[in-house]
Amino acid sequence: MDEKNREDWLDRQLREAAPYIDDDGFTAGVLQKLPVARPRRQSLRAMILIGTTLLACALAYVLSDGGRFLAVEILRLTALPTLWLLVLAVGSGILVMAGGLVAAISKTREVQS
Amino acid sequence: MELTDANLIARVLVDDDQHAFGELVRRHQSAVRGLLRQLTRTDLALADDLAQDTFVRAYKHIRSFRGEARFSTWLYRIAYNCFREDARRRKELVGIDEEQLQAEADPQTADPGLRHDLMHALSVLPLRERSAVLLCCQNGLSHDEAARVLDIPLGTVKTNVLRGRVKLQKMLAAWGPN
Repeated sequence: MDEKNREDWLDRQLREAAPYIDDDGFTAGVLQKLPVARPRRQSLRAMILIGTTLLACALAYVLSDGGRFLAVEILRLTALPTLWLLVLAVGSGILVMAGGLVAAISKTREVQS
Repeated sequence: MELTDANLIARVLVDDDQHAFGELVRRHQSAVRGLLRQLTRTDLALADDLAQDTFVRAYKHIRSFRGEARFSTWLYRIAYNCFREDARRRKELVGIDEEQLQAEADPQTADPGLRHDLMHALSVLPLRERSAVLLCCQNGLSHDEAARVLDIPLGTVKTNVLRGRVKLQKMLAAWGPN
């Protein structure tokens, strides 16, 4: 027990002998020494994303027989009663707005933090 | 909401976000500089130069951080390597500066006499024991983490901590708990 007390005491003294060191410009000094950030990576990422999106679109177009099903669906939509069309339009609008709102809130939180 | 170290590291990795890295530096600078000050036997200028090198090196090699250990443990390892390389370059370790020790003593945190004796006792420990004691007893690393930082076997760390503790307790016998 006595040995344990001595160990605890020594550890406590060691921790107290290392108080918090104020930054005092240290971080700024480190940031100045960092190599310049490469903006190239951002544009490369965008290019990859756009490229894969275009490729996916082209694939979908080819695999869906020239997008014929789209024309069929649009024709079917036009045949719907006006009230149904209105409900669909409002529903889609609300869905898009909700998505935008969620994205805006999460981005605001990110910026604030 | 405060971002975790992992979030900040992800931002550095994905966007090269230097502001995120700055936040990491702000969080860990005190611990890294403190460790290096003790390793260099309170040579403040040298310790801060080594700490700067540590963070610059961490930024350059952040892709090699696998997240298996805590970020602080990874930083300690880089800091210790910087210190060892510098010590090798200099061929000899810097001697203890009594005046600097006096200036460093913070009367609010501990008895200046005890603090002075503790710093002196630490400085006369062999480097392997001093490093192990500082990492495990002062910075709260587990033996396993300290073994990774120092790149030595776990059993050696345990032995060094034990020996270092015994020596410190002997040297500080007059100050011990009542």
